[in-house]
Amino acid sequence: MSEHPTDFQGDILVALRDSVVKALPDAVVEAQGGGGHFTLVVTSKAFAGKGPVDAQRLVYSAISHLMKGDRAPVHAVDSLKTKVPT
Amino acid sequence: MGSRITCRSSDSSSVPDFQSLSLDGRTSAYEVSEPKGTKMTLSDAVKSQIEAQLAKSRVVLFMKGNKHFPQCGFSAQVVKILTDVGVPFETVNVLQSPEIRDGIKAYTDWPTIPQLYVDSKFVGGCDIVKDLHASGELQSMLGVAAKPEQDAAPVAPPTIHLTPSAKQAVVAADDASGDTLRLEINAEFQYDLYFGPKEPNDVETTANGVVVRMDRATAKRANGMSIDWVDTQGGAFKIENPNEPPRVRALSVEGLKEMMDKGEAFELVDVRTEGERALAKLETAKHLDTHDAAISAMDKETVLVFQCHHGMRSRNAAELFLRKGFRKVYNLEGGIDAWSIKVDTTVPRY
Repeated sequence: MSEHPTDFQGDILVALRDSVVKALPDAVVEAQGGGGHFTLVVTSKAFAGKGPVDAQRLVYSAISHLMKGDRAPVHAVDSLKTKVPT
Repeated sequence: MGSRITCRSSDSSSVPDFQSLSLDGRTSAYEVSEPKGTKMTLSDAVKSQIEAQLAKSRVVLFMKGNKHFPQCGFSAQVVKILTDVGVPFETVNVLQSPEIRDGIKAYTDWPTIPQLYVDSKFVGGCDIVKDLHASGELQSMLGVAAKPEQDAAPVAPPTIHLTPSAKQAVVAADDASGDTLRLEINAEFQYDLYFGPKEPNDVETTANGVVVRMDRATAKRANGMSIDWVDTQGGAFKIENPNEPPRVRALSVEGLKEMMDKGEAFELVDVRTEGERALAKLETAKHLDTHDAAISAMDKETVLVFQCHHGMRSRNAAELFLRKGFRKVYNLEGGIDAWSIKVDTTVPRY
């Protein structure tokens, strides 16, 4: 796992989950990773009827504050999957 | 991280900078969670630049680096997918232009690079493209059969011209192991000729009495091509293929010398500055700065050879003339410096 310099204090995985849930209250978030690189699987009814582009936009907008700038806690979301609950 | 190339900066694939995401007054969703972000709107100039780039090809990839040298693992993955699918595509290197890099994000309201466009419509980033490829949707979007090897109709054997000298070289290389000559042409029109075993689904043709086998994709790209043999530099096959999209071809300084010695018709174009030309120049080279209009007006079949100091600037100029419609465009690899070292030491180096 690569090192990634950040000023962020706290658990980034929790911050990712909380940020997504704040924007999409019904969302189930599986977040994994570290060293600035993360994978996310988000399940929410908000994605129903949306294409992958619009669905991913919802998630990105929710976590944008964690990804902003050179020393952001989240350097890259290596993989982002969006699902609609069945 | 596996074999992923490390991204050097913060907007690859899923790596946004999020400071610049509103399109002409439309409020971007990203500003909701980052109200303090520097707001940057997409200027008309950048917007029309982006639209011009999107119009260049059906399939356009905004990426870091170019298709031959991706500078980010996510961009590299999408290039590989497009190459595998086998469609022609253009790439735009966002690392060369901060305006485009920010502009394309605002244009589509999408925070990350790479971004794939088909028919000027945004398709997705790395993740989405991978999913669409795996499901076959990308292939159908691009009008390509998902698994051409298995379900495509038979491909007619292509006509291939093999010159007597090329035939001689092939026969001399045959070790009589029972393998036949195989030809491979990939989507980038890079060629491979070798002896190898028969494969299922091979297409077989006979060129000047020599049996040539290839896969179906190659067969479609090979029809009407000719294979010649040239004796320079230890011998090499010389391929002319009418199916090949025009591209800048590399020319060695030895190759240029040979063209000169044979008296072949071509225009040598020097793209360097007057100051550099004062230090060293090839006498027959026309200076681009003063002959640009005249060269641009030439017949598009004219052979153009571009030359600079080391071969980098001239490549850019060569690409430009390719876009102007010239079909036979060469870049002198290594530039005048290589010429001074390998061909004519009386030309000063600087």
